[in-house]
Parts: sequence; structure tokens; C-alpha cells
Amino acid sequence: MDFRWGMIADYAPLFVEGVQMTIIITLVAVVFGTLIGLFMGMARLADAPHGLSRYLVRYLVRMPAGAYVTFFRGTPLFVQILLVHFALMPLLIHPVDGLVVNGDIARDIRQNYGAFISGLLALTLNAGAYITEIFRAGIQSIDKGQMEAARSLGLSYGQTMKFVIVPQAFRRMLPPLGNEAIMLLKDSSLVSAIGLAELAFAARTVAGVYSRYWEPYLTISFIYLALTMLMAWGISRLEKKLQIGAR
Amino acid sequence: MKNTRRTLLAGMLLSVFAVAGCGKKAEEPAASAASDAAPAVAQVAEYVVGTDASYAPFEFQNDQSQIVGFDIEVLSAVADKGGFKVKFVNTPWEGMFATLGQGDRDILSSAITITDERKQSMDFSEPYFEARQLIAVGKGVTDVKTFQDLKNKKVAVQTGTTGDEVVQKLLGKTSSSIKRFESMPLALKELETGGVDAAVGDNGVVINYVKNNPQHGMTTVEDLQSFAPEYYGFAVKKGNQELLAKVNAGIKAIKADGTYDQIFNKYFGTK
Repeated sequence: MDFRWGMIADYAPLFVEGVQMTIIITLVAVVFGTLIGLFMGMARLADAPHGLSRYLVRYLVRMPAGAYVTFFRGTPLFVQILLVHFALMPLLIHPVDGLVVNGDIARDIRQNYGAFISGLLALTLNAGAYITEIFRAGIQSIDKGQMEAARSLGLSYGQTMKFVIVPQAFRRMLPPLGNEAIMLLKDSSLVSAIGLAELAFAARTVAGVYSRYWEPYLTISFIYLALTMLMAWGISRLEKKLQIGAR
Repeated sequence: MKNTRRTLLAGMLLSVFAVAGCGKKAEEPAASAASDAAPAVAQVAEYVVGTDASYAPFEFQNDQSQIVGFDIEVLSAVADKGGFKVKFVNTPWEGMFATLGQGDRDILSSAITITDERKQSMDFSEPYFEARQLIAVGKGVTDVKTFQDLKNKKVAVQTGTTGDEVVQKLLGKTSSSIKRFESMPLALKELETGGVDAAVGDNGVVINYVKNNPQHGMTTVEDLQSFAPEYYGFAVKKGNQELLAKVNAGIKAIKADGTYDQIFNKYFGTK
């Protein structure tokens, strides 16, 4: 088989920019997804002791959080990306009749950052749904006695969560969080469908021009592999660092 | 307890073997029957045709999910005259050309422009349609009169099309102002929602989309100087002279007897 690596070299800047974009959207989506996960995870576990407030918490906090997780975990990410970019975004930001932004600013935003915003939003919301469940599992895995002990020492619910439960839970959550981050890095390739110039977009461009598939897709495979391995290494470092001294 | 479980397991294993054995026995006569019958059926060769059915009016799926369109009717007529059968299979544009070499498809009929680059990896029939690139611009964009005016604009194209190629020549191979989409309708949708200033694609498809979405106020800009005419051809695997000859004979025949003009008028009005 003859490989024509020259065609990759011709488009090298596209691949370099693609790697940068892939890393940026992955990192931002992981960070914001974790924030979403933290609050949504606690929202899913929220409860109140008394009659009326119990109803309010159930219908205004727990159920919306549950619905969010159900939707974003139950529909394909690819569909979510198309939905956000071609339906939700034009509704909110549109030069003629955008609900939030319109006029020339809207045109500007859409042209320069449209695909970036849509892609990032879809990835973040999707990651947030999975991370919500990771947080929920992490918090639930902490012995009930911890909560009871902290509360009986006079800490409020918020303080208990902040100083006792979440720090312990976070340590247990690291492996699944790392898993999610790696999944997200790979899934970010789907964003090329809306024309965002990330890594898979570079390969699609080259494949489209030359009608050759080995070189571009093999190239990005190795780049994705290198990135995920790097990520796995970083996460295992973090796990070791946060480990409790040998028991 | 232990004994029962073992007997059960043995029974299960036995029954699996029994089923597998039966399967094999039953298959053999069927297979040989099929190979006996094959020559009788295959008197008229049937070819699998790849087409990206998201490119109205050339190829698209109608509401009964049948693949229809100009290319489909032309090739069907060609097959009639050329003495073969065709079966259309919806095939994504990205990666379509690879299906010829892999033998998944015998013919490609998908508004494919004949280019020297593509000729290196496949063979083309005689041209059956003349097309040109056309620029579509969004509502309120008035400063685009020629292709050159797109120089500092954001442009949407379909990945790997001739539109993609010409825009790359104008804006640079790795320009971030080019936004590529999997299909032409998605590229035009991006234009419609204000994500780009313009889209470039084959005239037939662009005109069809703009005409069918009048509420968005898109207009088209023709530039006869910048865009050379392009010719669509049916593609076959490189070296498949036998099939190519049949297709070419069919094209010649439908052009001669007026069938081609009839189909053309149906889709594009009189010349």
C-alpha cells in the first residue's frame, strides 16, 4: 500500500488548530460539566423533612434534575449537537428574529463562534448529565453515619456537604470522572458535523479532497490515542496524590 | 444438587450441538440449490448503484422513502437501454468513492463532477449533465457580486465537493473561514440561520433549496467568469471497461431517442 503522507503535511495547520480546538472544548466541557454535575448531583439527592417544603423540593429540585439527566443521557450526543446548533441556537441568536440576541451582533457571534458555542454547549450539557450521576453515586457511597455525625456536631447541611461528604466522595469519583473525560475527548469528534474545525474536521477535509482514507484517519487516530493516554496518566497521578496514606 | 446441575449442563450442551448439527444439514442442500439456480437468474446483470440521496433534485428520498430524482431517472433509463438492471442504495457522500474500490457499489450516480483528480481513482462515463458552481448569499448581503467578493467572508460548503475545492483555492487550503458540512442542505441551513455569509455549491441543488425556502430571503449570485462549466458523470471502478461501455451505450441511446430531454424538462424546465 502506498501512503501519501504529503497530503497531511499540506494541511498541517488544519491539524494543529484541530488539536488545539479538541483540547479546548474537552477541557471546558469537563470543567463546566463537573460544576453542573456537582449541583445537579446534590439536587437529585435533595430532600426536606416537612410537608410543604418536601413537596417543593421534590417537584422543583429533584424532578427537574432527574429530567435533565434522563434527556441528555437517553438521547444520542450526535442528535443533541445537531439539535443545539440548527434548532436551539438559531432560536436564541439570529440576525433577524433571535430571542436573546439579534441584529448585526448576532450575525457576528454566529459567524465567528456559532459552531464553537453550540458544540461546547451540547458537549457540556451531555457531560454534565453523566457527571451528575457520578456525583450522586459518589455522595451515596459515603456512609450515612458521616452525615449523622457531622450534623450532630452542629454543622449545617451545606457545611456537612462541603467539608465532610463531597471531599470524601470526590476521591471515589475520580476514576469514573477520568473515564468521562476520556469519553468526552473522543466524542468531541462528533462536533465536526456542524463545521467546527477540530481534529476530526481536519481529517474529513483531507479525506474529502483526496478521496483517501488511510492517511487522514490513521493520523488523527494516533493523535486521539496520544491525548487520551496523556489524560489517563494525569488522572492516575491525581488519584495517587489524593490517596489516603496506606491503611 | 451438584449432580443435577451437571446433568442440566450436559443436556444443554447436547441440545446446542444438536441444533448446530441440524442447522448445518439443513443449510447444505439449500446452498447447493441456490448455486444451481444462480445462472438462470443472473441473465440480466444487476448492478448496485451508490447515491447520496440528500441532494435534491438530483437524488433524494420522497415521502415513501423511495430514492428518486434526476440522476435516478437518467440512470434507470440508461440501464433500460444498456440491457442491465440497477439497484439504488443510499450512500453517504463522505467515503462514497471508497465503496467502488471495495466492491460495495458498482456504479456511483450522485451528481459527481468529472475531475482529473477523481479520474485517477475511478473511471467516468460520458458526461450527462452540465453544471456550474453557484453562490448563495443570505438575506441583506448585497456586497457579493462575484466569486472574488467572498475573499473575506465566511463560506459554507459540502465536504469534498467541487464547491469545497474552488473555495479552498480562493480562501486558502486551511482557511478557518470555510465551514464544511456533510450535506449541501446542512451547509445551506447554516447560511439560512446566519452562520455564514455565503454558500457555494452546484447550481441545481442551490437553486432548488433557495426556491423551496423563500421565507429566508436568500438569493443566488452567478459568476460565469470564475466558475468553469462542470460535467456530471457516472463513476465505475477503475478498469471496469465492460460496465462503462454498457453505461455509455445507454447514455447515447437515451440522448438520441429524446428520453433524456424528457427527463431534463421534467426537473429543470426547457433548456
